Amino acid sequence: MGAYVSLPTWWRSNDSRYRLVLGKCPECGAHNFPAEGVCASCNADADFEEVEPEGTGTVQAVTVISGGAPPEFDEYQTREGAFATGIVELAEGARLPGMFCDCDPSEVSRGDRVEAVVRRLYEQEGVPRYGVKFRPVE
Amino acid sequence: MNDVYVVGAGQTDYGSFPRESYRSLFKEAVDTAVDSVDAEFDRESVDEAYVGTLGVGGRQLGLPGPAVTEFAGLNGTATTRVENACAASGVALRQAVLAVRAGVADVALAGGFEVMNDVSSERTGEWLGVSGETEWERMAGTTFSGVYAQMADAHMAEHGTTREHLSRVAVKNHANGAKNPHAQLGFETTLADAMNAPAVADPLNLFDCCPTSDGASAVLVASRDAAEELTDNPIRIAGAGQSSGRVGLFQRPTLTEIPATQRAAEQAYDEADIGPEDVEFAEVHDCFSIAELLAYEDLGFCERGEGGPYVASGATEPDGERPVNLSGGLKAKGHPIGATGGGQVVEVFKQLRGEAGDRQVSGLSRGLTHNVGGSGGAVAVHVFEEGWA
Ligand SMILES: [Zn+2]
Repeated sequence: MGAYVSLPTWWRSNDSRYRLVLGKCPECGAHNFPAEGVCASCNADADFEEVEPEGTGTVQAVTVISGGAPPEFDEYQTREGAFATGIVELAEGARLPGMFCDCDPSEVSRGDRVEAVVRRLYEQEGVPRYGVKFRPVE
Repeated sequence: MNDVYVVGAGQTDYGSFPRESYRSLFKEAVDTAVDSVDAEFDRESVDEAYVGTLGVGGRQLGLPGPAVTEFAGLNGTATTRVENACAASGVALRQAVLAVRAGVADVALAGGFEVMNDVSSERTGEWLGVSGETEWERMAGTTFSGVYAQMADAHMAEHGTTREHLSRVAVKNHANGAKNPHAQLGFETTLADAMNAPAVADPLNLFDCCPTSDGASAVLVASRDAAEELTDNPIRIAGAGQSSGRVGLFQRPTLTEIPATQRAAEQAYDEADIGPEDVEFAEVHDCFSIAELLAYEDLGFCERGEGGPYVASGATEPDGERPVNLSGGLKAKGHPIGATGGGQVVEVFKQLRGEAGDRQVSGLSRGLTHNVGGSGGAVAVHVFEEGWA
């Protein structure tokens, strides 16, 4: 019990999970992530133009989770220890949350440049779930 | 529009109570609220009841409202369960106010309950954080403290807020909580201990976080006519504001403000015909230390970005210009999710009636409560004034 994302729901969002597809608002030009709902910037209920971002961005906020990860990430935390997770603003302007990888978690800071890479996130009901994490770029 | 008055308010102690059930806790809160009414109060006179609970642990997922109101003797009362995460009973209060204003109810009850400490540690993990945005925020490994930690990180970078500023919130609220017999963590702490506590979600440490709590609260509101029969010491609800915001922090236009607080406060201030400068004291939603600093700014108690210096100035201490969280706040009093908003009203009710014991601040005539769901997906703000309109 508790929070749960079913497999069909996960798969429905594959374009967002793997390619970070953004929705460009035809009214105000803002990029929305995920590409659904009304525009978060101007509230327009318009058909978004799908835009595939380059996949680089800047860290806007970061925290290091030292214990009590969401249960989906229990195994990961047991194996890897503390991990960094934060909010990244893509070059196109949309924000999304993401874990940081291939780095020392304590070294990730606001303002750092990062790029999206597809990683195994967690396993549930015997099915590995994949999606984007972010790794630092020089 | 009918004026609405608080005629009674009560809560259980907050803490860990393995011998109590969600029903027994709620009944105790109702009994305490009934006892606080000046005149004899017939609980069957309650026309509408609004009960807040998230339902942590699963227990009674369907019909938790009637399950507690029937148990507490509100026989047959129209009961509605309110779920707005940690803002559940603040929002329940607003529903009760609207029912009285609409003339549907002469007397209404708002309250809530939560039992969080009888769940195994494995299951606790399943339930904490369910009020974050699930599909993206949680699946990026973000905990609930992690979301507020990100807000703290951004606030520190944008406004120069410091480790010490955060810890000053904890020191103040623990000092207040030490005077509150209902408090779960009713002990004082030093600035050094608060600053050097173990990390939970950097930059937040253990003393930046509220505990998990069992507890219940109940508030009785009435129309002017009904209130005149029940009390000579009325507390009027002068303003009731509520707003929603995007559930995920990443979906909002700012990482360092809670826009729903700003909107709810504006509505409550407009209804009360006051501005933030007129608020004499407040119970604000300090689930994490950074949340209290954001509340100062979003409620208009200080300038944008100045929450840290504001707490450091002593302005929100009991002897300051605007005491905040005289009860000890969520930090020290505790945070039984569904009960929290109603519990805030209990403190304001007692302070305005001069019944707050050791922590009484004299001369108060107008107070505010601020109750946040999640990291800002739902907010309720109420303004309370002593006396008839
Ligand atoms: Zn737009």
